[in-house]
Amino acid sequence: MKKIVALLLAVVMLLGLCACGSTSEKNEDTKAPEQTAANDASIETEKEAAPDTITVLAPPVMNDYANYVRTAAEEYVKTHPNITVEVIETTWADHQDKMTTMCLAGEAPDISYSETGWLGTYVEMGVGVDLKEYMDADMLADYDEGTLSYTTLDDTLYAVPLYISIQALGGNKAMLEEAGVDVEKVQSQGWSYDEFLEAIKNGTKDGTWGFVFANQGITTADFVNIFGGVAGLTGSFSDELKYAYTSENMLNLLKVMEEITSSGYMPNYTVAAGERLVMLQKGETMVTGKAMPLFETNCRTSTAAVQNGTAEEGFIEMEYVFLPMPTLDGVKANCYGGGGLLVPFRNANTTDEHLKNVVEFYHYLSSGQCAADVCDAVMLPALCESGRKAQENSELVQSEGNAIASAYCTSILVAPPTGITAEQSANAETILNEVIVPKMEALIAGEATAEEVYKIICDEAFALFGEENCETGLIG
Amino acid sequence: MRKEKAPRTLAKKQFRFTAEDGTGYLFILFAMVIFAIFTVYPLVSAVITSFQKYKPVGSEWIALENYKATLKNALFWKAMRNTVIYTVITVPVSQLIAFGIAIMIMPFQKKTQTVFKAIYYIPAVASGIALSVVWQWIYSSSPSGLANQIMTFFGLPTQNWLASSKTAMLSLILMVFLSSQGQNIIIYIAALMGIDNSYFEAAEIDGANFIEKVIYIVWPLCKPTTLFLLVTGVINSFQVFVNAYMMTGGGPDNNTTMIGLLIFNNAFKYGKYGLACAQAVLLTIVIAALTALQFKLNGDDVEY
Repeated sequence: MKKIVALLLAVVMLLGLCACGSTSEKNEDTKAPEQTAANDASIETEKEAAPDTITVLAPPVMNDYANYVRTAAEEYVKTHPNITVEVIETTWADHQDKMTTMCLAGEAPDISYSETGWLGTYVEMGVGVDLKEYMDADMLADYDEGTLSYTTLDDTLYAVPLYISIQALGGNKAMLEEAGVDVEKVQSQGWSYDEFLEAIKNGTKDGTWGFVFANQGITTADFVNIFGGVAGLTGSFSDELKYAYTSENMLNLLKVMEEITSSGYMPNYTVAAGERLVMLQKGETMVTGKAMPLFETNCRTSTAAVQNGTAEEGFIEMEYVFLPMPTLDGVKANCYGGGGLLVPFRNANTTDEHLKNVVEFYHYLSSGQCAADVCDAVMLPALCESGRKAQENSELVQSEGNAIASAYCTSILVAPPTGITAEQSANAETILNEVIVPKMEALIAGEATAEEVYKIICDEAFALFGEENCETGLIG
Repeated sequence: MRKEKAPRTLAKKQFRFTAEDGTGYLFILFAMVIFAIFTVYPLVSAVITSFQKYKPVGSEWIALENYKATLKNALFWKAMRNTVIYTVITVPVSQLIAFGIAIMIMPFQKKTQTVFKAIYYIPAVASGIALSVVWQWIYSSSPSGLANQIMTFFGLPTQNWLASSKTAMLSLILMVFLSSQGQNIIIYIAALMGIDNSYFEAAEIDGANFIEKVIYIVWPLCKPTTLFLLVTGVINSFQVFVNAYMMTGGGPDNNTTMIGLLIFNNAFKYGKYGLACAQAVLLTIVIAALTALQFKLNGDDVEY
């Protein structure tokens, strides 16, 4: 009896393990007929190609983007019947962690959303794909050449930008005017740091802050990446490909942060990323950052909800204005452009045939109507000819002032220099996360001075990059 | 000749594989395979990876570089220091709190005991993530946060609980004191119930008061439980991750970056998997050494 029980246990275990191991195979088997059934008769006349599955990791780039990709894929497979598209939906909170984990596990998704700053880390992992090897010249020609520097590392093109988001400040128009700001002038010509400081001073009243900038955890990095424009810091590397966050500009930025956080015009407590827009919509702040043109849609929706009585408690009627970043005396007007992109990935056993299929579908998602729809949602122009053509039919619901501000910010966008290596990019990301963000947290908490933080950043950067590869004077 | 033959026969007898042995091995096969797949394999794999510059498409053997980089890394030592501070405060104090509460619950009737046990155990049932969300609201640095409202009520200035180096670690420790005692309390109650009543009767005859009974009867007889809770507490504390990840993200200025969070960040945020594995191996060695030390210091007169 004992032997029978033991044998039974062993058999159950083996069956369990076999079942685990064969799950994915079975899934593919069961999906293939469904896929075949979904295709029409014209498929038979198509060139026969081996069945292939493409996985896409999709965060909410726009509302319900995962479902958007699923719908787009249904259209795509009509002409590519051998392709099956699997979409893995993520949230902004878990997207990057999930993407990194999948890449490290050797199961990188074929296509995933990424930001330009993250790209170096994945290229260093070896999962990047040299797009020029797999993308036809005709396809490549569709994309604006000037934007490709955002996605080029080691002189290799690893992705094409889907959009370049202009990220600066946003405000409540009525409050700004009450604080003495000529909103139209600022939107069309920019403003100085002194004008900005005067405005947030006037805008600070009982229950309303003049300025709020999200500063909880990793969002503190936005103080350098985006607010850094105030001091002329437009990226981690200068045109000479030297590390830029050791320059005098960085010290100036830190001094500005110190001044603002101790001024009483900004909360002396941490504000999470999700809170900043809500504070603006509730009239708890006059200006907020980081802000994008698309916030206009959010504010219009909340204002409509206030008007019809369905808004949550505390929300007010307001008109959102997108504002350029102010600059210190002597600093050229500039704007941070955050590249939002889809990236194709490879794994150890990825075949050339599969990569060709992936890149073709990748091009489909990054251009034409797909690019236009995403860019419409984020109120930005497409970065490819086919996308712009598709956008001609779109109706952008944007106020005149915000359209002018968007155009102005786009005109002063500073593209990253060409020639940055993947190692430089990954090292810059490491020093940002391990040194700059923690030290800035200490600065914001009033536990370190600008000079102390600057010295630590310089020491760490000199050790990592070598002093000769770091900027020490004033840039720009 | 005879002398040579005798041990051979004995050896043969000792190691003969019988049918009964086979049945025994079959019984433990299931557990052993699971143990091998989910414990031994990841451990061996982590050790191997710790000597590599790990890349999913082809790793590079770099010998001890990850270990050298770890030992030279100031953040690793800061994380280790934070973890030690967190452990040294939370583990013994938590045990004292749990022991005290268990003693206070014991005199109640069984039904009342059950109610208290359930109340104290509820936080252990909730997920760490859910708990962290509640605590984030409690520690919100805006004036509307619960902790700040209490401060304001007593006329004290509001605090930047999780964003100030002065209060961030304290906030995490306080969170452990107030929400993580359930399991320890239940284990201590089980230990207290195992103490024979005759000891207390004898002590009463000798005129011992409550404190003396606790010191001379309860505490010594609970020593195996205390050692068990101490060892598991230290192991869990060195591996703490969720609290720091959810509440502070390791900030401000890495003052709440624990070693578990550092390993997670290196592996899953920066893609430095080899480095993370080296740090995990070092953590394992530290935990193993501390566990051995605890058994050496406290385990001589404890039977398991």
